[in-house]
Amino acid sequence: MSRWRLAPILLFALWLGLPMLETQAALPTLEAPPVPLAYSLQAFRQAVRSGGPGKDGIPSIDRPRFHSVAAADAWLAPDDRIIGLYLDGEARAYPQGILVWHEIVNDSVAGRPVSITYCPLTGSALGFHRGDAELGVSGRLVNSNLVMYDRITGSEVPQMLGVAIDGPLAGRGLDELRVVWTTWGAWKTRHPDTRVLSRETGHVRNYRRDPYGGYAPRRGYYRPQSRRLFPVMAESRRLPPKASVLGFRTRQGAAAVTREALRREAVITLALGDRHYTVIRDAGLDTGWVFHNPRRVAIRVDELTFGPAGVSGGGTEALEAINAFEAMWFAWAAFYPDTLLYGAPEDTP
Amino acid sequence: MTALAALRDALIGRPRDAALVGGVGLTYAGLYLWVIGDLGPGGGGGLDARFPAWERVWQTRGPLHFEPVGLIEAGPWIWTFSPLNTLLALGLGLLLGGNLVLGWRVRHGASHCAWRAPGGSLLAALPALLAGGACCAPMLLIWLGLPLAGVLIPVLPWLLPLAALLLLASLAVLARRLAASTS
Repeated sequence: MSRWRLAPILLFALWLGLPMLETQAALPTLEAPPVPLAYSLQAFRQAVRSGGPGKDGIPSIDRPRFHSVAAADAWLAPDDRIIGLYLDGEARAYPQGILVWHEIVNDSVAGRPVSITYCPLTGSALGFHRGDAELGVSGRLVNSNLVMYDRITGSEVPQMLGVAIDGPLAGRGLDELRVVWTTWGAWKTRHPDTRVLSRETGHVRNYRRDPYGGYAPRRGYYRPQSRRLFPVMAESRRLPPKASVLGFRTRQGAAAVTREALRREAVITLALGDRHYTVIRDAGLDTGWVFHNPRRVAIRVDELTFGPAGVSGGGTEALEAINAFEAMWFAWAAFYPDTLLYGAPEDTP
Repeated sequence: MTALAALRDALIGRPRDAALVGGVGLTYAGLYLWVIGDLGPGGGGGLDARFPAWERVWQTRGPLHFEPVGLIEAGPWIWTFSPLNTLLALGLGLLLGGNLVLGWRVRHGASHCAWRAPGGSLLAALPALLAGGACCAPMLLIWLGLPLAGVLIPVLPWLLPLAALLLLASLAVLARRLAASTS
């Protein structure tokens, strides 16, 4: 083939390839997300509902500012809920009282762009690597859960699924990172040098008021027995709708552990298919750390160490960490209807 | 007397009626702002006002729901102030107040002239009251404990304009009746 014929073909191929390169540089995604999809992408799209506010009507925080523990102590009570992130030696706390108004913080921690996301209607907090992209609030919901959108491609991703259901990235999974749903008192004890998201967000909101209720104690929408607002794709009455569970997903399935079981048992072992997992209670942060434990290594509870990066020692050294997050039961069961549930009392009528 | 003159006379002709319209307007505006979340508890007890976000004055949070530009703290209250939300609230409140005063004047006239008492003002007030929750219906549903947000939310963008139209139409009808009764 002559050179003058080859050149346009090469240019065309380059033109075709550029968007793919751009996509990958923008929002890091996984072609095969480690999540069980209980429904087709089309079924998820059909279940999307308007939540009331328009696109970016709930504005993400795109230029977050932070202050010290001492400054945060002036307005945060020890019982106040925060979402904690520890990444590459840096600790950050994102108060729930701020995120309830914004739902997404597009941040950079230790030079790595991340999005910290929180959905008040499902009580779920997840972190994602975001590359050069920013995530925004679409104003739409599926199973009452925040549908985020990628501001570069417009792809839509339900937060608790972590998989794009619409747009150019449909079917691809986001790259998750572990965040911790805990109290301000617990977080600052574990991370005395943490930085805390400031209320100087660039938006005017009444950060002293939670429009849905409160967590200390649980009231309003957050009461375990209170009802959800929006339709769900699947319903389960095995737990009260807003009961808090710690859940994790793999390609083989999903599993959830009740808050009560997690507080009761130091180590919980679970099997999803032929794969084995270990959940280790972190009493300090009132959460759990999940590991893939293929050889069913016995965990030596007395030798476990809880530090800034989570749990270590006691037999966890060779185990692969699996991301986990807290959520309200009704939402977990709606996204993952075949979930394993550990620690449920008798099914509620 | 024309309908417009009757309307002007009824609303601002007597200080008592003007005060009533203003009072209803302010009360309704306060209620509206509270329901949409602009007005709420959380104040530290002092008095403070700052307006750091004037550039967001036209930004919307939802249908006919605008971004606040400033924060006013007064006693136990915090008002996240949006000029446009406030104008909408006051506008609807004054329309409602006008309807109530005009309705009362027509009814008062009816007791002397044996007219049929109008119920239009009260009927028209209903969508306006509902519209107060238009931008924040999920909050109302939380308070009521009703899992109906998925059904109600698609109609919310229409509630506010519908309420304004009904109140305007009701005001026009009442003004014409009042003009007819006094001519």
